[in-house]
Order: sequence, then C-alpha cells, then structure tokens
Amino acid sequence: MIIVILGLLFLPTLIHKDPAPGMTMSRTRSRTLECERITAEVASQRYPGKVQPSRPRGEYLERSALVCAERLVRPGLREDRDEAILSSLQALVADLTSSAVDLHPELASRTWLVEAFYPSAPVSAKLSFATKNALVERGLLVSDRTPTLSAGDVDVLTRMPPEQAYPAACRRYNDNGSMGAEHALLAIVSRDPRETILHAGLCADGQWSWLK
Amino acid sequence: MAARALLLRLRCARLLPRLRCARLPAIALGLFTAPGCVHVYQPLSSLHRPVVVDPQAANFQDLRLSVVCPPGGLVSRGEAEVLCERVSKLFENQGATVTTSGSDRIGEDLAEDPEQETGDPVAAPTTDLVLELRSRETHFTNDPLSWVLCVGTATLVPAYTESTFAQDVIIRDGTGFLLASDSLQGRIIRTFGFGTWAGNKVLDLVWRKKEDELSTAQVYAEVSADLYGQLSQLVFNAKMRWQILEEATPNGRATSPVPAERAP
Repeated sequence: MIIVILGLLFLPTLIHKDPAPGMTMSRTRSRTLECERITAEVASQRYPGKVQPSRPRGEYLERSALVCAERLVRPGLREDRDEAILSSLQALVADLTSSAVDLHPELASRTWLVEAFYPSAPVSAKLSFATKNALVERGLLVSDRTPTLSAGDVDVLTRMPPEQAYPAACRRYNDNGSMGAEHALLAIVSRDPRETILHAGLCADGQWSWLK
Repeated sequence: MAARALLLRLRCARLLPRLRCARLPAIALGLFTAPGCVHVYQPLSSLHRPVVVDPQAANFQDLRLSVVCPPGGLVSRGEAEVLCERVSKLFENQGATVTTSGSDRIGEDLAEDPEQETGDPVAAPTTDLVLELRSRETHFTNDPLSWVLCVGTATLVPAYTESTFAQDVIIRDGTGFLLASDSLQGRIIRTFGFGTWAGNKVLDLVWRKKEDELSTAQVYAEVSADLYGQLSQLVFNAKMRWQILEEATPNGRATSPVPAERAP
C-alpha cells in the first residue's frame, strides 16, 4: 500500500516531463531555458514525427507545444550587459543596419566602414563583425579598415560629452583624410552602462547623424 | 506582495480561492486527505533576460512618465488600476514624475494642456514617455479528466491547471513615436493534490536549496522581481533612445507633425 502511495506521489513527474520548476527540475535550471509556446499545427510542421498534427475532426483538448532550448552560454559566465546584447545580437544589428541603409539609400554605392564603441573589446569586436556581415548581406561594399584619429584628437574627444564627441570625431575623420567622399561610417554605440540596447550613428562627408 | 497584482491579472485570482485549501470546509479535508496545492512560475521568454539597470537607483531623474493600463484581456478595470498604481510607484522610486491612466485610448486623458484642447498641433507634449501595459492569456489548460482522477484517488494524483500569459509593453514618446515594444511571456502552473504537495514539501525540506524552494510566496516574489526588473530596463532603454532622437533633431522634436498650412 505504501509503495502504491509513493508511486502515486511521484507519478506526475514520471508521466509529465515539464520544463517548469518541479520534482525533477530546479528553479535555477528552469531559468536557463528559453521557451516558446506554439500551436500543435506549427509544432507538427517544425517537428514532424515528434508532434502529431491535429485530427481533422478536432480533439478532446486544445493541444499546444512548449518548445524549450538551453541558452548557449551558462548564466553568469558573461556580464549581464554583454549577455543581454549578445543574446539578441542578430536582431539588434539587423535593426541598426536596416535603419542606416533604408534612411540613406544615396550612400549605397559607398564603401562602408564600421566602428563599435563598447567598453568590452571582445564584445566590441563581435559587434563590429556582425554589423559588417549584416551590411554585406544587404549587398553593400564593406571595408575592414577603421578610420583613425591622432593622439591629440583622442585626448580632446574623450573629454567631451558624448553628444559633442561623436560629431567632432566625424569632422576630424573627414579633415584628416581618414575618411573620404567614397566612405560612410556606421558607428554602433553604447551610450550608458545601464542600457541593453545599442544606438547607431552615421558619419558621411564630415557630417554626423544619429539614426537610432 | 507587489506580485499579487500581476497574479490577479493572470486570473490566478480566479484560481487561488479554489486553491487556498486550508479554507475549504473540514468535510472536504477529511474526504481528500488534506489536499495541498503548489504554484509554479516559469518565465518563458524575455521575462528572465538579464537586467542591468538597478530598480532601486535613481535612473529616471527629471523624466515625466505616463503609465497607461487599459482594462481588457486579462485585467478588469480595478485590477488595471492596481497595476498602474504599483508600476507608478516603481518609477517614482527611481526618480520619475509619474501620471497614470486607465484609458483605452493612449493619451486620451494625458493631454491636459489647454493648447492641445484648442487643437493646436504644436503644443508641447505633457509627458516625456508613455508606458502602455496590456496583458493577455495566450494559452489555458484545465483538463477535466485530471480533476476526475484527482478526486478518484483522493487527490494523490494531482490535477493541473496551466496559464500562459503575455504582458505586452509598448513605450512611446510624448508625441506618440514608438520607442520600444516587447512581449514578456511566462506561465503559471497550479498543481492540486496531496501527492504533489507532500512530495514538494519533502523536497523543500531535505533536498532543495533555499533559492530553489517552491512556495506561493516565492512565486509572488519571483514574478515581481522579473516584471519590475524588465519594465525598468525597457523604460531605461526607451529613455536612452528618446534622448538620442532628441539630439538628432535640432529643435528636439523629431516626430512632431506640423501640417504645412500651419507651419511658420
């Protein structure tokens, strides 16, 4: 009798595999999952064989599927800000590049340079690389070169507030010949350590404009 | 405690009274071997994204924020008011000047500027940002068969009720320009039955770490922390984007439509 009762106690965990915290899943582990609820029709198309399509005459219950995937990187391994940016990198970069390209179609024939202003060098490199890829996918000419400033310029610019520093840097790129009339620079900028989005600025012909 | 507002909105209020088993008559307790209930919350997408902004810090000094909680979907008018009040307190604690509205039409009762009432389209916006919160239930499961089994086995086999919800967040500037939007999704699972309740209690006592324990209080705290953290982060991101757009336009009005016949 006791065995039967114990069996019934743990029956739900045996027949019902759920990604929610419970008998076999800790809350910490459950929070490492990214889940999405989809309809049975979508699930049967996405996972044929694993999910049966709905019967033509309907079902006793409305069925749906919960699809979960573990995050690529273990939580805590990266800084929260880096994790927030990198986990949505493709969407962020696609959004920023499309705003640059769509708002300025007249620059489509130029060679695009990309510079990322982010405090972490490894993340900055990833941002730059992803942005270049996104621009190439849009059919644009992209260069790996980054415009340069003299040490004196950098010294002055780093002491200016951001709303003045970026336009000033753009003017200096143009004045010192680092950027020419055939170039356009897309800058990916993080303005505040508390934000988890990125901004885009465009420098062309010595003129700076914020896009997003 | 603040999470109670959200749980109310998730129609857990509808479920919780049934789940507060201690309040059931003694006859039911005797019949069903002291049944218990367990609430579990699982963030699905966006709700458990990393949050960088500290909701305890003064992140929104000098910001005029309007919080709009239209009733509908999962919330009644009263629940919407409670939610708006709690969210406004969240942002007031971070330094913002907050007004709330329960209107279904955004900005309907925000435009109190007499110039706007006269129809002047260039009147200054009365707020910097508008935060709109809507919620909906995307999925609900309540299998009658599981209740039959639950009752038939004196609640040793549990009954499940599950609700998947989406909290839609839209943030605009004072002129109505869309700055950010997101859909925060999660699910609340209610398990009713002595079997699950007892097993859960045993695991809490002998096996689980403190942070992994499953209790209704933990659910409230976790939903609150997730929701308020994400709202703070989303509004902060929107504020940064709004500031960038203000910088992008010399007159500071990127999106104010000025009809040609009225332009100077």
